[in-house]
Parts: sequence; structure tokens; C-alpha cells
Amino acid sequence: MSIKAFELVPAIERVKLMSDKAKTQIECLDVCGKNVYIGTNDCFVVHYSIEEETNSSGRVSFKTEKQGHKFLTVKKPVVQIKTASALNRIMVLCDNTLTLLNMLDLEPIMTGAKVKGVSCFCINENPIRTNPFSVEICVALKKKTVQLYTVTEDRLMHLRDLHIPDPAVAVGIDGIHVCAGLATSYNMINSETGQDQFLFPFDAENNKPIIKRISKEEFLLSGPSALGMFVSSAGNSKRPPISWSENLLSIGYVHPYIVAMNDEFITVHSILDMQQKQAIPFQGGAALDNFDGRLFVASGREVYALVPVPFEKQIQALLADKRVTEALDLAKNANRTGMTRDKFLKMYRRIQQQAGFIQFAQKEFEQARTLFLESEIDVRELISVYPHLLPSNCNFTRSVPALHEIADVTQLVKGDNSLLADFKYFLRTYLEEIRGTKAAYGFKQEIDVALLKVYAETNSPELQTLVAVDTGCDLHDCVEWLTKYGRFHALALLYKYHGENDKALGVWTKLVDDGVKDEAFPGLIFIVEVLANLSDHELVWKYIDWVLEKDEEMGVKVLTERPANDPPSERLRPDAVIDYLHRFPSAVITYLEYLVFQRKLEKETYHTHLAVLYLDNVLRLMKKDNVKKEELDSARSKLRHMLQMSSLYRVQLILGKAKETDMHAECAILYGKLEEHDKALRILVHKLKDFGGAENYCLVNSEGKDPAYRKRLFHILLSVYLDPSYERRDTLITPAVTLLNSSVAEFDTIKVLQLLPDNWSVGLLSQFLTRAVRSSMHNSRMTRIERMMSRVENLRCKEQCIELQRDPVVVNEERLCAVCKRAFNDPTFVRYPNGVVTHVHCAKNKFICPVTGRLFSSGSGAS
Amino acid sequence: MSTKQKADLKVIIMGDFNVGKTSLICRYIEGKFKQQEPTIGAAFFLKQWGPYNVAVWDTAGDEKYAGLSQFYCRSAGAAILAFDMNDPKTFESLWARFTPMLGAANENCLRVVVGTKMDTVTPETREITVEDGKRLAREFNEHIDISKTPFEPYFETSSKDGRGVQDVFDYIFQYCLPLSDDQRKSQSKVSRSTIDLMDDSCVHKNQKGKCGC
Repeated sequence: MSIKAFELVPAIERVKLMSDKAKTQIECLDVCGKNVYIGTNDCFVVHYSIEEETNSSGRVSFKTEKQGHKFLTVKKPVVQIKTASALNRIMVLCDNTLTLLNMLDLEPIMTGAKVKGVSCFCINENPIRTNPFSVEICVALKKKTVQLYTVTEDRLMHLRDLHIPDPAVAVGIDGIHVCAGLATSYNMINSETGQDQFLFPFDAENNKPIIKRISKEEFLLSGPSALGMFVSSAGNSKRPPISWSENLLSIGYVHPYIVAMNDEFITVHSILDMQQKQAIPFQGGAALDNFDGRLFVASGREVYALVPVPFEKQIQALLADKRVTEALDLAKNANRTGMTRDKFLKMYRRIQQQAGFIQFAQKEFEQARTLFLESEIDVRELISVYPHLLPSNCNFTRSVPALHEIADVTQLVKGDNSLLADFKYFLRTYLEEIRGTKAAYGFKQEIDVALLKVYAETNSPELQTLVAVDTGCDLHDCVEWLTKYGRFHALALLYKYHGENDKALGVWTKLVDDGVKDEAFPGLIFIVEVLANLSDHELVWKYIDWVLEKDEEMGVKVLTERPANDPPSERLRPDAVIDYLHRFPSAVITYLEYLVFQRKLEKETYHTHLAVLYLDNVLRLMKKDNVKKEELDSARSKLRHMLQMSSLYRVQLILGKAKETDMHAECAILYGKLEEHDKALRILVHKLKDFGGAENYCLVNSEGKDPAYRKRLFHILLSVYLDPSYERRDTLITPAVTLLNSSVAEFDTIKVLQLLPDNWSVGLLSQFLTRAVRSSMHNSRMTRIERMMSRVENLRCKEQCIELQRDPVVVNEERLCAVCKRAFNDPTFVRYPNGVVTHVHCAKNKFICPVTGRLFSSGSGAS
Repeated sequence: MSTKQKADLKVIIMGDFNVGKTSLICRYIEGKFKQQEPTIGAAFFLKQWGPYNVAVWDTAGDEKYAGLSQFYCRSAGAAILAFDMNDPKTFESLWARFTPMLGAANENCLRVVVGTKMDTVTPETREITVEDGKRLAREFNEHIDISKTPFEPYFETSSKDGRGVQDVFDYIFQYCLPLSDDQRKSQSKVSRSTIDLMDDSCVHKNQKGKCGC
């Protein structure tokens, strides 16, 4: 609990004071500026000048010189001296009489300024009147009265009497409130109303009552049971009491310390936490007080100053004792001692950092975290405590003087691994917290490298995100570290982030080839993805072989799943790729499919190649025995889809191959492509007996062409059905009739009638015929309507034309062109429907009036 | 400095030596129970209650501080009169010793009787009945109208397991510095991490939202 807040420095040595008599003892003391006044027990007032000196090492010493003395002739002790420097006077209490002396020559003021029967007095430091050349004092008399005076240079002006139940032994005053220590209690008296408030009982017989004004409207009283009681002018307390020693003689106060003296010790108490902070042995103390913020104390024969130890030193001492809270409390209050805000903040932060490290060392991680965050510590300070975590090329050195004495965390944990893990976890959470915030500015590399190392050690999943996205990790020693801990996937990701794709792929391929374990590595598919997104095609080329060897299906994705903005290059030119892929039959199909279906490249060779490959595939399957039907079907349907969808492949080539086998459906499509519909439909009808398919063929192949073409196709189909040369034509009558009656088929009725065999009954064809008659009827009627409507339109136009031409347009010399305002000199002109007349060459657009900009529809043209 | 802030309410806790006054406050302020040294003179805590600051003064129970305790009573808005539920003497001295001291407190000072160390009481050892406590509480508060409070200012608490402690202070603060439902909610959020599903205030809100027909 002890700290060194004050140092006792001698101010006036005994030899100088002891003028003649050996029995002289100091009774009281007052310091004002450079003047020290001492009252002795044998009725002397002695005046010294005092000079404070600070030597180079910061030690304070005092130089004093005696200025003079005065014997007050009554042979009684001088009990109290107070300087009123504004008046050039000192007030002296001796032999129960209060008198004024000249401050410099100590001569009495002979104007009768004198109060008798005084037991004690005090100055009002918070006076009601503001005249600077007067001082308010409060005087306690031997009778049951307290008096208030205004002191001027030569006069003591009586203000008022306050009556109290007992004579006062001690008084204090602040504003209008007088605090009085009576024989059995302390009382607070309002000097304006005279109201007397009992505070608390106190036995003045056995203890000396002390009243010390410590701030505006607040007194500190020596209470019973060795307690220091804070009392406000209102008569209650705003602070808990201080517990100090018995038999106090006097009190001084220099923020934030209360200094109390008894006959053996001077004790120092903090007003912040009410605890005792320092005890200085001091025998035979006579007087102690604070004078303008300086503390002086007198023993019987000497005077000392209590020089405050600089806050910095006190705080450092507290920190050295690991008393973090006290140090921070004190530091916060140091703000009041006249530092600039910036300087204070700088100092305070440093203390917070020191405190942070103390908490850190004591594993109080939560407090440490708060302190580090608040003090915006240079994060490298923290990282440097962990061995090897700073980047090896980082030339950071810890701040001087050191913030802490921790060599590194291994020293703190003493081989306890779980503890080490706790420390590392703290670092990790701390770094994660500040990463990306203002605090991390400029230290991205250090933070990320440290995180990487911690992650690598604990194999955290965060490692990948760290290295792959916006990382500050360099390659320098991270590579070594990641290798050491076997985090190869992360290593490769880091390489990739730094653009070293070759190395990255090298690591990955090794992961696959050598079966090195890294759970984080997702497998071959990952490499494929990386390659697919790699814009360095040479590198892609380097690894494509390896990937395809591993897995054709997956490997080809490198080529097919390239990003949309992939730049074209010679390496990945489709022709070259196809050439290369020869070795990998399924890959080449996938690649061609990609080219044809996805990229929709319209190049004959690709289409033909793909068709041929499909065909080969089908043929191969057909040759094989015990091939599943589904497999073959799917292969064929793929082929058919290709044949049907594309029209770029070389039909003849495929057809040649297809004809060799029984692939009728395919042949039909191919014939269709060659526009040999008759052949195609014959295959469909005769070979496959797929009548629906035949109808569909007609629809599909006439798609997007004019209706006559569709009619022709259906006609061909019908002819195929009715072909008299076909030996089993009876079987085709039903589909023919169905076709005729179908609602989708379209025919040229006359041609159909010519084609139909004569022996068919009308009933069989009734549906078709009805429809044919109806549609023909419909057409006829529609045509008539159209004709009549055209006539109407024609008549209207004629009417308009007549209307427009009826008015004459007179063109003479005065008539000017509406556009160029010149006369017409040849007979041609332009007249707009709204009557505007211009030159022919001035009429730029006959649909827009050049003057009004009105738009005329083409129906009402110009003349 | 925190102690310099103007407090809106002063609450004082009194009672015989070693009845557990400091423990009670410590449990309320810090939420934990620990061994306490005897209080010397008095101690001071500051607590936020909605927008208000409440100064909680802990007094020393020892007889020799009686004079000071009276001083610290001055302008108190509420007093907690604590007794040890195992010790009928402490209960009796509430009336005998502490009523005179409360003369210095505010005229309308609320006086709350609080039994402590509930965790150590068994039905066999128990000497002060609930009725006794309530009767004393009624007598103490004859000078003020306590009909607006939900029940008599009598509580039984255990600082060790925390039973009843929160209720004592909530009761006092709500009486002296009433907060609206909303304020209370935010307050309880601060002081309690659990949510009371049976909280009445929610129900009231729903009712307000209903259509007028």
C-alpha cells in the first residue's frame, strides 16, 4: 500500500533559528510566497525568506535567510500566524489577542486593530465580498461567540457575532458557512441566518478538533474513532470517511493527497480511494499546513517542506508494485497538475500500456485487452512478446524505456502448454479485433503475419481466409512457417495471392501426388477451379496434362469453365486444344460440347468433329454386346439432338457413316438436312413406322419457313403414305387418314384430292373435306372483305386528294418561299397539306412541315 | 470524481454489527458474495437508476460509530434497516437503537426492514416470523403513506445466494424515484441478463394496441 508521494526536505535548520535561547520551540508557521513566518513558544515572530532550488538531477532544496524577528513582550506562545499579503500584514494570535503586524518589518500596527479573548481564528478563502484589499476572517472567542471581521490595512471591522452553545475550540469558514468544533460536537453555522446545525458528537477534551477547509463548501474534520470526516456546508457528507491515526495535530491537503500529522508520524492519504499511501516518521511535529499548494511542516526546531514526488515517479512506483488500479486512478488525476491535454494523453496512454502488460503478465486478459485498446498500443509491442511471431524482416525494437519486463511469454508460462495456448488465444482474439480498424493502420503485415503463425500452429480454419483474401502476409517467413506446420494448402493459397501461381500449383500437385495430409485441402477439384480461373495460359498448359491424367472428366473443366472475361491466347485456341486433347476421348467430347453448345462457335470442323465423335460412340456401343439399352439410347439421343440442332456439320460425311448401320432415325434427320424430305419421310414411315415422328418431322423442318413449304412437306408425307408402289400400302391408310384429319397438318386441298385414290369413301374423308370447304369458304369471304375495305380506302384517298387540290395556289412575284423567303422563279413548288408553300429544293422532308414542324403521315402526302 | 456527482437519492443502510449490511450492498452492486471486513465509519457506493444517481451509504454497525451513523443519516430518502434473521436481538435493536438516529433523515424517509442471512435459517431456528417483520415495517412507516406500494416494506434476503436482494433496491428506488415502464425495462436490461417472460408490462402494451371497438 505504500507509495512515495512526498519527500521530506529540510527548509530551515535549527542553527539559524536559535538566535539566543535554547528553549525556544516552534509553535506555528505560515508561508506566503517567499516569506516564512514562525511563531515561537517564547513570544517571538521570526521572518525568513525562502528560495526553492531544483538541481540538475531534479532534487529540490531550499535556501533560507533570516530577515528579522520581533518579540511581542507578553512572554506567551505565538499560537497562530496568517499572512494577508494583499494588505502587507500578518495576523498574529498571541496571549488570546489577535493583532496585525507589518509583513516586512514586523512592526505592530498602532491603530487599535486588535481583538481580545480569542481562542483561534481563520481566513475565509471563499469570501462573500470581493474587495481584493480586504480579508475576511472568522474569530472564535473564549465565550460562546464566533465573530466575523473584515481586515484592512489598519483596521479590523466587525461584521457580526454568531452565538453558539459552547465556546469554539476550532473554526473553519467557507462562504457564509462557519464550521465550529465545540467541546462535545462539531456544528455548522449559517452566518446569515444564524442557524446552528449539529453535525456529530466529538469529545474535544481528549482529542484535538481540527477543521480543514479542503475545497469549496467542503471541510475535513477530525472525527471520533480516528476518522476523518468530510462535511459539506449543507451539513452532510459526499465522501466516505478517512481512517487515520489518533491524536492528530494538524492536516494539510494537496490534491489528491490528505496529509495528517500526529506526534510520531506524518501519514499521507489519497482522497481518491481514502487509503493511506505513505507514512513518514516525524517526531515532535508542531505545525503542518498547505500554503498555496506547498506543504510545510515544522517540528520544535526545524522547518521542512514536503515536496511532492512527481506523479510519473509515483505512478511508476505503483506499477512496479503491480497496483494497476491505483496507478491509473492517480494518472487520471494528474491531469489537474497543469499539463497540456496532449502531453497528458501521451503520458496516460503510456501508463495504460504499462498497466496492460502487467495485467497481461497476470493473465487478466480482459483488463489487458481494454487497456491495450484504449491506449492504442503499437501492436508490435504486444506481438514482440511472443517469440518468432514478428516478421523476421521487421526491424522493430521495443520502446525505450521498456513498457514491461517480460522477455517473452515462454518466461511467463514456465513450460505450461495450456497456459501458453491461453496467451496465444489472447493475442489471436486481440489481433482479430483490431484487424482492419484504425489501430491496425500501418501494421497490417505484422498483424497478419502474427495471425498466420498463430493460426498455422493451431490449424484454425481461419487460416485460409487470412491468406487468400487481402492479406498482409508476405512470403518471407510465412512460407517457412507454413511448411513447418504442414499447412500446405494455406501455403499454396499464399503463393497464389502473391501471384506465384507456379509455386502454388507445385504445392497443390504435390499434395495430390504424394498424398501429403492437409485436411484443409479440398482435393483435385480445387486445383481444377484454380486452373480454370488462371489467366496465365502457359501455366495452365503446364499443368493441364497432369490434371487430365488424374481425372479426364474433371480436368477438362479447366478448359470449359473459364471465366467470361478470359483473354484469348494462342495456347488455348480451340483448334490447338482439340489437337492436344486427342489422347483424352471423353475430354475432347466435353470440350467440343462446350465449344458448340455453350460458346456456340459456328465452325464446321467442330460441329462435324463432335457429330462424328457422337456417332463413333454410338457405333462402338452398338458393336459391343450386352450394352444396356438405356446407355445406347442416351448416346443416340445425344447424337440426334446434335444432328437436329446444328446445321453446320458435313452432312454427307455423317450420312455415309450412318447409312452403313441401321440408324434410321439419324438418317432421316440427315436427309432432312439435305432437304431430301422424300427419303427422310420414307425412312420414318417405312422403316421406323413412326407416324407421329413423321408428322413432327414436317413441323420441325418447316419451322420458320413460309406456309407453302410446310404444305409441301405434308404433301410429301401424304404421298409417301399413299405411294402405290409400296407393297404394304394398306397398312398406311389409317395414318394417312389420320394425317388428313389432323388439325396440325396443312395441305393444298386440290393437290390432295388429285392424289387420293378414287375408291375412298367420302365418309372416310368427311372431316378433312369439311375443314377444306370451310377454310376455302373462309378464305373467299376474307378476301371479299379485304377487297371491299380496300375500295373504301381508295375512295377516301380520292376524296382527300380532291379536297387538297381544290383550293388554288396562286404563285406570283409577291409569293415568297416559306423557308428561304425568296421569290419563285420557276413554276414548280411544294405545297404542304397545311398550306405552306416552298421551293422544291427548300422542302427537305415532305413529311415534316419546315415551318411548323408538323408531322404528316404518308397517307396525306404533298403535291 | 464520481463521489462529487450530485446524487438524486440517498439511501442508507443501518443495523447491528455483523448483520451483513456491507454484504447486502456488495451483492447488489457487484453481484457477488465475498468476505467483508468490518466497516469503519462508513462506505459509499453510487448506483444508476434510470436517469438518476443514487448514493448508497453503508454505515458501521459498531456502537462506537453511533454518532457518525446519525450524521450520515442526514437527508437520506430511504433507510434499509437490516437484521440477522438468526438473531432476535438484532431485530429488537432496530427499534431501540436506530429509530432515534433516523430523526436526522428526511421527514418522509422510507424505512425498509430487511432480514439477512436467509440461507442459514431453517424453520426450526427461525425466531422472527414474517408477520413480526411486516408489523415492524408498518410501525416504522406510520409517518408516510405506503398504501401505494404493492406490499409492506419488509424483505428477507440472502447475500450469499442473492435471493431478494434486487427486490429490496428495486422497491426503494421505484418508491422514491418512480420510473416509467420503459425506463424500468432498460434498467432491468442493464442489471439483469435474463428476460422475464411473465413481465406484465408487455401485456399492458398489447392491450393498448387493441382497436377501440
